[in-house]
Amino acid sequence: MSQHPPDYIGFDRYTSHVPRGIAAAVQNATRRFATNRKARIAEMPHWEDLRRCGSDIRLHTLRHLDYYLEKGAARVTEAGGHVHWALDAAEARQIVLRIAQDHRVTRVVKAKSMATEEIGLNEALLAAGIDTMETDLGEYIIQLAGTGPSHIIVPAVHLRKEEIAALFSEKLQIHAPPDPNALTAIARNVLREKFLQADMGISGANFFVAETGTLVVVSNEGNARMCTTIPDLHVAVVGIDKVVPDWESLTVLLKLLPRSATGQKITAYTSFITGPRRQEGENGPRELHLVLLDNGRSKVLQDPVGGEMFKCIRCGSCLNTCPVYQNVGGFAYGWFISGPIGAIFSSQMLGAKAARELPYASTLCGACADVCPVRVPIPDILRHLRHRMAEGDAVGGPTLPQPVRLVARLTGWVLGNSWIYRTGTRLAPFFMGLITRNHRISWLPWPLSRWTRVRPLPEFNSGFRTWWRKTK
Amino acid sequence: MTNPVIDSIRLALGRTAASGVAPRPPVYPARAADGPDQELARFLAEVKLVSGSAQQVAAGEIASALQVLVQEQQVRKAVLWQTPGLTRLGVGAILGRLGVELVSPHADKHTLATCDLGVTEADFALPETGTIALRSSAEKPRAVSVVPRVHLALVAPSAFRADLHQVFAESRGDPYLVFITGPSRTSDIELVLTLGVHGPKNLHVWVTDMPAG
Repeated sequence: MSQHPPDYIGFDRYTSHVPRGIAAAVQNATRRFATNRKARIAEMPHWEDLRRCGSDIRLHTLRHLDYYLEKGAARVTEAGGHVHWALDAAEARQIVLRIAQDHRVTRVVKAKSMATEEIGLNEALLAAGIDTMETDLGEYIIQLAGTGPSHIIVPAVHLRKEEIAALFSEKLQIHAPPDPNALTAIARNVLREKFLQADMGISGANFFVAETGTLVVVSNEGNARMCTTIPDLHVAVVGIDKVVPDWESLTVLLKLLPRSATGQKITAYTSFITGPRRQEGENGPRELHLVLLDNGRSKVLQDPVGGEMFKCIRCGSCLNTCPVYQNVGGFAYGWFISGPIGAIFSSQMLGAKAARELPYASTLCGACADVCPVRVPIPDILRHLRHRMAEGDAVGGPTLPQPVRLVARLTGWVLGNSWIYRTGTRLAPFFMGLITRNHRISWLPWPLSRWTRVRPLPEFNSGFRTWWRKTK
Repeated sequence: MTNPVIDSIRLALGRTAASGVAPRPPVYPARAADGPDQELARFLAEVKLVSGSAQQVAAGEIASALQVLVQEQQVRKAVLWQTPGLTRLGVGAILGRLGVELVSPHADKHTLATCDLGVTEADFALPETGTIALRSSAEKPRAVSVVPRVHLALVAPSAFRADLHQVFAESRGDPYLVFITGPSRTSDIELVLTLGVHGPKNLHVWVTDMPAG
């Protein structure tokens, strides 16, 4: 899977032959997380109030984003940190590379960060000759394997322990047994050395508290703590949507995130980092750089409907509940972010051309909206994006081919006028009767033949209203 | 100084530098604390639920508890926070008598990485999740709680707080704070829970009345 923004995401092509085993592995993970999540929420009678509160706070922040970002950036500077603003991915990569080169960095350790995957930072650092190591166990495994993540929280869930053992044996020149504990111990030893040798640690942030300029980073493994504690230099790459107004707001979001993500009450480690270390001997970086990444977010904010996706706190619960995601896995969505949130994120960030299939990568069943801890209206946004593709709006012109747009308009007209619909259902049996054989319709003229070639239609009996009048 | 990112956001939102800010929506209130005994019981139970070890240890029993810990975990080298609480309990002196080599918390990272045990004193404890919170200073270096394979945290009953709200009210001005809930964990390989992937494999939390100074 390409880390750089793809010019075309072939969702349909990929989903017509999903590799064997992907769906089963992904469903193991999604089932586990969804079950745990349910158990945590059952313990919280006020969960719906908390969700509403989280949604209100996120929406308020997005509507005053300039204010909170400027405030947070000023506080980071006051705390002795350096703030950089990156309008796009290329600028963000250049900023991080320049920091690395200014400090003669040769070895980098990385904590899991979606922002760095979004900008393709690893490739840029490696191309500059800098040894760059993912340290989250799952990310480390897929970095060794040279593939992309299949799930947001357990990126290597599609690999069996035997495959991981073979990978370790080959890449690390050791004998690795197919045992999760032993494999984890091997990774610990290898990565421990990397942490101790690294000149620079790179992380993202789950939240950025404007009130004090604090970066909040959660991790279960402790690798994010190692990355932000051991090297003398810490660089955090953070999307501008991650800002929260104050610590009171954080109380709400920190309760929503882990329960929704893994079904934990709280993540094993939550670090709150405000500027570089103050005292010698305290540990932590001597120098802290914060790269605030726009990369098209501000443009999407113009659209009040689509812009609401930035309420997202990246928990992954919409993936875990999505029937489409569960059957195709993360690779199908073609970029670093997948599932229902990936469908609306990539569509809007990459544009209607590159991601033209993603607004349709959903059945609109609504399960994602039900579980979202900050109530991102994902199905509404999908419908909004489909409408844009057919009719165009203030953000973009129509992008669907003319015949498809005509069919969409015709369908809308028929379904929007009850008398046409009623007349149609009365006339339909007559016309259908002409082509029905053995209670099946197995041929329709092009382009409908594309459907009937694969799947014959059952005989058309009557409209629901007629059936209801007869049967009730 | 112009900032193209801020300019672009303002353009999108139709705002200017002079635009006002509506009041932040209200947050969900803090949980009310139960009685001290219930809070303590809940805290100990929650730490155990996340594969940590938790117990009440009287100040007079610290020596025997440390002896058990050193033997069970085969501790040969340890690093301690230099807090008045740990000093008054005599943790360093007891470990020394047990034959454990003490490393300065200001030793370089490679030396710290050879320690089997790190000992800290929690600044806050949250019963609802079994969480301890640690601040940071020259006497309380950050690496002690993450680099050694065993972490022992002592918690005074006075460190208990009902909810995040109370902790943040006190710590919001701190340059650093870390929440620790159970040992380091991962399920990245076939969803099998595995402890001690990068941080400590063992977390011991002892609730102890710290002797007055």
